[in-house]
Amino acid sequence: MNMQKSRPGFRRRAVLAGVGLAALLAVVPAFAQDPSGELVILQWQGGTDGEMWLKLEADFVAKNPGVTTRELVITAQGDARGGIRTALIGGEKVDVVINTWPAFRAELADSGILRPIDDLWASAGLDSVLDQSWKDLGSTNGVTYGVNYTYGDRSAVWYKKAHLEKAGVEPPKTWDEFVASLDKLKAAGFATPIAMPGKYWAHGEWFETLLLRTGGVEASNALARHEIKWTDDIVKTTLKKYAELLKAGCCGTPEQMFAGDWDYSADQIFTADAANYLLIGMWMNSRARNDYKLNEGVDYSIFQFPALGLGHDDTSSVDAKEVLATTNGANPSAADAFLVYMVSADAAKILAGYGYASPSKNADPSMLGPVQQVATAAVAQSKVQFVLGDLLPGDLVDEYRVQLQKFLQDPSDATIDTVTAAIEAKAQELY
Amino acid sequence: MQETVASDAAGSRTKFSSRPGGERHALLATGWRVRDWPAAWLLIAPVLILFGIAVVFPLIETIRLSFFDIKGLGRPKYVGLGNYVKLFTDPAFRNTLSTTLIFTLSTTAISVGLGWLLAMLSAFSPRHTLPFRVMIFAAFGISEAVAGYMWIGILRPDSGGLLNAVIGLFQPGFAQPWLGDPRTGLWVLIVAASWGGVGLPLMLCFAAVQAIPKSLFEAAYIDGATHGQVMRNIMMPLSMPGVRVSIFINLLGALRAFDIIYILTGGGPVRSTETVGYFMYRESMTQFKLGYGAAATVILLVAVLFVSIPAIIQRTAGAR
Repeated sequence: MNMQKSRPGFRRRAVLAGVGLAALLAVVPAFAQDPSGELVILQWQGGTDGEMWLKLEADFVAKNPGVTTRELVITAQGDARGGIRTALIGGEKVDVVINTWPAFRAELADSGILRPIDDLWASAGLDSVLDQSWKDLGSTNGVTYGVNYTYGDRSAVWYKKAHLEKAGVEPPKTWDEFVASLDKLKAAGFATPIAMPGKYWAHGEWFETLLLRTGGVEASNALARHEIKWTDDIVKTTLKKYAELLKAGCCGTPEQMFAGDWDYSADQIFTADAANYLLIGMWMNSRARNDYKLNEGVDYSIFQFPALGLGHDDTSSVDAKEVLATTNGANPSAADAFLVYMVSADAAKILAGYGYASPSKNADPSMLGPVQQVATAAVAQSKVQFVLGDLLPGDLVDEYRVQLQKFLQDPSDATIDTVTAAIEAKAQELY
Repeated sequence: MQETVASDAAGSRTKFSSRPGGERHALLATGWRVRDWPAAWLLIAPVLILFGIAVVFPLIETIRLSFFDIKGLGRPKYVGLGNYVKLFTDPAFRNTLSTTLIFTLSTTAISVGLGWLLAMLSAFSPRHTLPFRVMIFAAFGISEAVAGYMWIGILRPDSGGLLNAVIGLFQPGFAQPWLGDPRTGLWVLIVAASWGGVGLPLMLCFAAVQAIPKSLFEAAYIDGATHGQVMRNIMMPLSMPGVRVSIFINLLGALRAFDIIYILTGGGPVRSTETVGYFMYRESMTQFKLGYGAAATVILLVAVLFVSIPAIIQRTAGAR
């Protein structure tokens, strides 16, 4: 009897409990997704970029009041990877890592430091925010790790408008026009029209875009994977094109080229008015606007690397920055929220304010300044290839840059043979 | 006063040498050493622990790492002496050996030579040269990193660099890329690195000259010696202990030099200014080949020991 009486009551309670549990389960994820607590970001960017990051973090915190952010700052001159590795090996717990090197992401992923974000990508609907190509760029071995939040054209030549006007030069479209413009600029009093930063790595920029324009994306990719040798004719032809510039007296003496890095070269154009062209990434835009206080598109601009006419002029070198989530971070929900935030319209607006383009479909292109609009349009119309130097094994990059310095010292055919053989010898050890 | 100290020291030595083995016997007979061992160990333990943590452990760990192939954050692979074999067949490393030798010997020669000479000259008029000595010694207290950035300002390749601007007063528009030339970059770096190193030899040698009994100078001048002769025959030979300590300290500093190279040249151009210390950094921290970098570190350590041990033995023998 009791049992009979109790059964309907049990059923009712069971049903109510089931409904309650279902309601609870429906509500719990909503709470779980609500990020709170401290979000630790491994930060290696300084100057204006560092300032931009503080703004991004402040905006993220404003939208997620339960979260606080803390930057674990790595100070590095040049390549920050050593500092990042040291911090991570040293046991630092961080939720988010900023990265710009695909090969480094692979290294971090192999060592189990990165958390795959395929589930996040699906649940946050990032497919509707970023094109598949950006997802592919943020993936290693088919697993997605990175959310690309900015990208830049690395085949853009920067110039100060007043210099070209003084020399009566229009932004050159072809290689011949470009080489011819060097003489006009020299005649106008600029002894070294191209500011060539040969001290560390930036002299490789010219080689890398010339390689793209000589052999296309396929050749550049093949070289990155060592499917073609460094002694291949494509590499030698590229260096011979590079030699044309040097022989035309583009860049002063090798000693002048070796004396400065990209920032010194930028100073030579934008503050010293001593040089005219600089091939460098889009971070230059931020420097020109914020450090030199120049008006984008008015005082300075860019033109896309001149066409060589070798069948690959629709190519551009690009770089990108991504945010990665770690496995050892204490706050994965905040990390996930931050990754999604970085491709939001609000983040894109802050990025645009500092002269950076976002790959997000949420980004409003009209927010970009005129120079960034030229760059993004050029990239959109190009077959793109990630910066070669960031795809090569570390040892090889080192050798490649030193051998390119030797080439700058003496751009003869004999040197081209020597330096390509030396890079190839190093590559043979590493692949 | 010096004579008193010297005779005291001589007396002490006589006391010990006159009782060979006596000291040990006396100590064991009274048993104080055995009794005091715990207290002695307790007193010395903090230092030993700190030394172990800060010096011995990292040293052993570095030697251990040098037997492994570690690339990036990957799993270490034992390679025995493989890293050492590879180092000596690596042209970049072989190049750093000669660069290190030139850098070390040259900076030591310039710093100690100049410091010694200035000390001799200062000794003729200690009071008037005090501000001068203080200024030079102050440079010794400036960190290499700060000095590096100061030298960047001096050596800027355009006419805005201080050195180019000064030369430009006589030759308008002068702009020499001092650090950009692989033929001269190392020598300019040596000058920059030596600058901060002059202060210590100056003070050590000056102190050594001050310790010379005045009677020697008086006797020399009474005999008609000139300043030059006094300097050559009295001050220089008798300041040699200061010179030896200066050489020792400067050699060690130059062997381990890193900051100023990192800031001024980054080892370039074309690796012409890359020393073992910088190579070690590049391999360990840029390439993150920790095992390979550790092997270079061990070789640098051997070089440092090669310089240190004879000096330590000599100092210890001198103390006895």
